[in-house]
Formats: sequence, C-alpha cells, structure tokens
Amino acid sequence: MEQFILRNAEPKDVSDILRLIKELAKFEEMEEQVVLTEKELLEDGFGEHPFYHCVVAEVPEEKQTPEGYRVVGFAMYYFTYDPWIGKLLYLEDFYVMKEFRGYGIGSEILKRLSETAVKCRCSSMHFIVAEWNKQSIEFYKRRGAADLSHEEGWRLFEIGKQSLIKMSAK
Amino acid sequence: MKYSIRSARAQDCRDIERMIMELALYEKMPDQVKISHKELERDGFGPNPFYQCLVAEVPEERSSAEGHTVVGYVLYYYTYSTWSGRCIYMEDLYVMPQFRGEGIGKALMASVAKVCREQQCVRLQFSVLDWNKPSLEFYLSKGAQDLTDKEGWHLLRFDGEALESLAEEAP
Repeated sequence: MEQFILRNAEPKDVSDILRLIKELAKFEEMEEQVVLTEKELLEDGFGEHPFYHCVVAEVPEEKQTPEGYRVVGFAMYYFTYDPWIGKLLYLEDFYVMKEFRGYGIGSEILKRLSETAVKCRCSSMHFIVAEWNKQSIEFYKRRGAADLSHEEGWRLFEIGKQSLIKMSAK
Repeated sequence: MKYSIRSARAQDCRDIERMIMELALYEKMPDQVKISHKELERDGFGPNPFYQCLVAEVPEERSSAEGHTVVGYVLYYYTYSTWSGRCIYMEDLYVMPQFRGEGIGKALMASVAKVCREQQCVRLQFSVLDWNKPSLEFYLSKGAQDLTDKEGWHLLRFDGEALESLAEEAP
C-alpha cells in the first residue's frame, strides 16, 4: 500500500492546489475555464472569511513525482444550507493524480469528509458529477450515493456575470 | 409603497418556516421538511451564519387573509468554484401566490445579483426541478443557462445510512 497522509491544507499548499485544480479541469475538458489565481485561493481560503475548506493527500519524499511534487490529491468543500434539513457539506472538487490511484487515497479522503460531515451535524454531503464521467459515478454509487438529478429531476442552473450586472442594475 | 425588500431578522424565522413549507408543498415534497424556525434561528443568526436571507414585506393594509406581511423570501449562501472563485448559490426563492405578478420575485433576485456584485461573486447558481415550467421560463428569461442540459452535470447525494457507514470506515 502506497504511504500517504491526509491533512488540512495550509497557506503554503495553494500552488499545489491550483496545479491539481488545473489537472482535474483538463480531465473534465474545461482547462481554459480555470481563471482562479494562487493569490485568490490564498485570500479566499485562508483570509478572515474562508469561502472553502481543503484536505490534501501528501506522500513522503521518497515517493514524490519526478517534478518533486508531494501533494498528490485534494478535496475542496464548504458548508451549505438546505431549508428542509439544515446544514450540508458540499464537495466542490475531489481529485487524485493518476499515478497515485488504486492505493485507497480517494476512499480515505471521502471517508474523512463524511466523518467531518457527521461531526458538524450535516444531514448529507452533496456534489455534482458530469453524466459522461461513468467511472466517478460508479465510484460514488458503490458507496451509496443517490443521483438526485435522475431520481427527483433537479437541474443545475447558472446566471453569469453579464446577466447578473443587468439584473442588479434594474 | 407596495412592498419592500430587506434583510431577514431572527424574528422572521417563523414566517420563513411557513413559506419554506408552502414551497415544499408546491415542489411535492412536504414530508422532507425536517427543520423548524428554531434551527433556522440558530443556523442563520448565530456567530457563524450558514445562510443569508432577504424577505419581501408588504404594508399592514395589504396583509394576507391570515395577517401575514412577510410574503416572499430568498435564501442563499456563498460557495466556491475552483475555476473562477467566489459564487453565490440561491437555495430558495418564493413569493406567496396571491402576491405574484407585482415584480417581487424579480426584485428578490435582483437584490441577490446586487450582493454578487458587492461581494465580487462571479456567478449565481441554483437548481430547478425539470417539471417546474413557470420557474424554468422565469430563469431562462433572465439569462440563466441550464448546465445539466448544456454540460451534463448531475447532482448527487450521500445521506442517512450511506453517510454514516462511510464515516464509520474512517480511521
């Protein structure tokens, strides 16, 4: 079994986190949509009002990548609110580098997040998955996740900056 | 003035609870509502709020038959996109049926859009049930995009037993 530790992200991890965010975006075929910078990640995650929480997976020096990376996986989450059941944990991003898969890092991260959810009195953990991402959907369904878009008909909507400016000007 | 939009106060939680149930009834899931005004007060008006809320209020002479003057609400919170940073997620938007058609829904949404601008949030996200045609049309007319349709995103959930057994496996 590959050695690794899970720990809460620290300010020094922002460059690794951004690197992994871009790798995941590349996999989702939307790499050019990542406009976030290290500076924003630092301010938004480790400032006065954190907008997110992050857990990272780190391997010892002898297992690092050829480029010298030791942070090989991460999960970013935050707390949301459902007016029917209260606090929820929302999983925003979850990724393990390809060469470090198959050693249980993903499973350990998920377990740690669900433990956090239960400790914080969250009724459930929500997240979104692209419907073509069969591998991930299977990973989650095997662990008991329900597809609410399929079961209850929920569709995700978004209003972008331009439309928001128009709306707020009225 | 026909109505006003203001930030919710702790005392509004009973009205918010009432309207949450009305919206749940419309969404055909009233038995899924498990929290009351007590949790709403604790979670929205404590030292670490888990949500923000704006309410629409009418003057007393326009109150509903039961005497309610708080006739609409929007409940939202801050989220984070690893691609573009700060976002707002609009969890609930509701106006009592007898007060519709006056622009209250639009005003509540415009107020949230204003918060987005002030807090440098790049987008507003929310979910709509696929059979809810009036709401789908309302949002599309405001420039919303259906990301489930466009990009194939599905909402998944771990809850109850599944969440507990996952947590129990943690070292």
